[in-house]
Amino acid sequence: MNADVTIAAEAARKRKLRRQRRMRVGRHAILLAWAGVIVFPIFWMISTSFKDAGEWVAWPPHWLPHEPTLLNYAQIFAFGALDPTLSRQATEQAFTIWKGLGDAALVCTTASLLALLLGTFLAYAISRFSVGGKYFRHTILMIRMIPPIVVAISILIYYAIIIPYATTALLGVRISMFDTYVGLVLIYTVTTLPFVIWMMLTFIDEVPYTLEHAARLMGAGRIEVIRRIVLPLVASGMVVTFLFVFILNWAEFLLALTLTHPEVTTLTVLLNKFQSAAEGRLYGPQAAIGTIVTIPVVVMGLLIQKHLVKGFSFGTLRK
Amino acid sequence: MAGIALKNLVKSFGTYTAVSGISLDIHDGEFLIMVGPSGCGKTTTLNMISGLETPTSGEISIAGRVVNDLEPGERGLGMVFQDLALFPHMTVFENIAFGLRVRKVPAAEIARRVAAAAETMHIKPLLSKLPKQCSGGESQRVALARTIVTNPTVFLMDEPLSSLDAKLRVDMRTELKRLHEQLKATFIYVTHDQAEAMTMADRIVVMSKGKIEQLGTPLEIYKHPLTQFVAGFFGTPTMNFIEGVVEIGATGARFRGAGLEQALPASVSVKLRGRDVVLGVRSEHVIIGGAAASAPGTARLLQPLGDATLVHFDAGEGKSLVAKVASNTELGPGLPLRFHFAPEHCHLFDAMSGQRQF
Repeated sequence: MNADVTIAAEAARKRKLRRQRRMRVGRHAILLAWAGVIVFPIFWMISTSFKDAGEWVAWPPHWLPHEPTLLNYAQIFAFGALDPTLSRQATEQAFTIWKGLGDAALVCTTASLLALLLGTFLAYAISRFSVGGKYFRHTILMIRMIPPIVVAISILIYYAIIIPYATTALLGVRISMFDTYVGLVLIYTVTTLPFVIWMMLTFIDEVPYTLEHAARLMGAGRIEVIRRIVLPLVASGMVVTFLFVFILNWAEFLLALTLTHPEVTTLTVLLNKFQSAAEGRLYGPQAAIGTIVTIPVVVMGLLIQKHLVKGFSFGTLRK
Repeated sequence: MAGIALKNLVKSFGTYTAVSGISLDIHDGEFLIMVGPSGCGKTTTLNMISGLETPTSGEISIAGRVVNDLEPGERGLGMVFQDLALFPHMTVFENIAFGLRVRKVPAAEIARRVAAAAETMHIKPLLSKLPKQCSGGESQRVALARTIVTNPTVFLMDEPLSSLDAKLRVDMRTELKRLHEQLKATFIYVTHDQAEAMTMADRIVVMSKGKIEQLGTPLEIYKHPLTQFVAGFFGTPTMNFIEGVVEIGATGARFRGAGLEQALPASVSVKLRGRDVVLGVRSEHVIIGGAAASAPGTARLLQPLGDATLVHFDAGEGKSLVAKVASNTELGPGLPLRFHFAPEHCHLFDAMSGQRQF
């Protein structure tokens, strides 16, 4: 009798274990399939960056390059006129990464720093003095709900028409913001400012008021309190915010495409220009640029991922 | 040298009035404690003295000089906060040195004065540590060292001991008293703990609802409370209160209420005849047994304190009272007893206003 019960219990336990194992296998199968969907384009990009022109759109597809080549990389990193050995028959234009890389680095760094500086002080004012009223901090992010395309055309009209005409009429000098570093830096600063304010608010809110009170009683002025107490305590938050905003700008395409040509060329815009009449899209060099551009983003992402959670936790993680 | 005068000080936040017109003279070198329940306006008053809050109206002067428009750092004050407010990103040394650094004191002088302050507070071994590596008591000493290093003439303290455990809190009281003797500066100390106020203060300000209820030495406040609120706030256990009326008869003044009759001292004014009053008497003045014991009661609960025992008993008509008796009492729960109050220790408060009548 007792033995029967034990055997039955044992069987039930085994059934349960089997069921748990089946569920675990099923769960992992789904996750693996999804990971495949996500990772495949990245794999394809890296693989293509090592293929020669003939293999880009070969059918059936060459999963891995049959004749691996560094030609794409040599081409995008070429200096000056393209070496005849690198020039493809069909490619009349030589495209290199340098102009795009330089412009993107300049515009993204300047705009991100500017947004960080302004946003940090704005966040301080909102946190400490409730500037803009009680709900302002929630209103800020709503700016991001406007689709960029709506902004892009209006800004284009301002940059290319209204500002040049207005300055000509009023100052006698034609100042155009279209296709300028200043123009692009400004619009990047403005579009990322809400993120900076939002993220810096969560960091500044965590600095206790009494620290500032204590410093002021010891004779420090307001600016000194910010410099010696608040900024050092939110420094790591500022680094995270900077990197986050930098990545946003680094990957921005629509505004750069609309507001520049041909002078200022960021990487995303440059990528789009990689096509020739004879060969169509130059997938190889594009894939090579894509691979190169992705590296800093991935590195930064890894560096800040722990802090990103904190920055976007909307203050719920606060002690 | 550094007395402080408050004149008709008012602070409102929107429609809420936190401090409604207080006037107070704080003597130079005094240890003054402001005490009252949460929301009574004591911290707001302290913050106005420090300059962290701007008064809605009224005047604050330090050492005879009106300071309403001075920045907090220009008032020559030192403050210890409830959460201590040590700068977490600086070492103990840098925390203490902060006030000197912003005043651009030369480095050699900073090192000397920080060392001296650390010496006074016995925290020399901690100087290179970060605040998070210090224990509660050590952090407390660091906060005090940081305050004394700039030689302020007035110290403001906002419940500085509330984050400590009970034993450490009692030790720190002694420490603060010692510091006060040594520095001879004016201490203004805010707390909601009446025991802290009784043990440390030269004078106590009792506040309630934004107003001063009473100002006096600890003993004055304990023995001669001006309002029922003050009488109830000080002392453990809380004073016994009984509602009733005053009768003046041929045998003198008597109190009658809650089924009790109690003789009052002959000096009770005739004007109180027929007045609705609240009689207050502390547990140590409720006498159980003895010749004069007239009223009957039933013991309910005994709380031995060691040196004495508290007896909670029913005094009829559902009135519960507390008496403090010798610890060798033979009373037990459910046993009958007889009691009376020592007439010279009875306090009478107006039933409506709570003001002391006798």
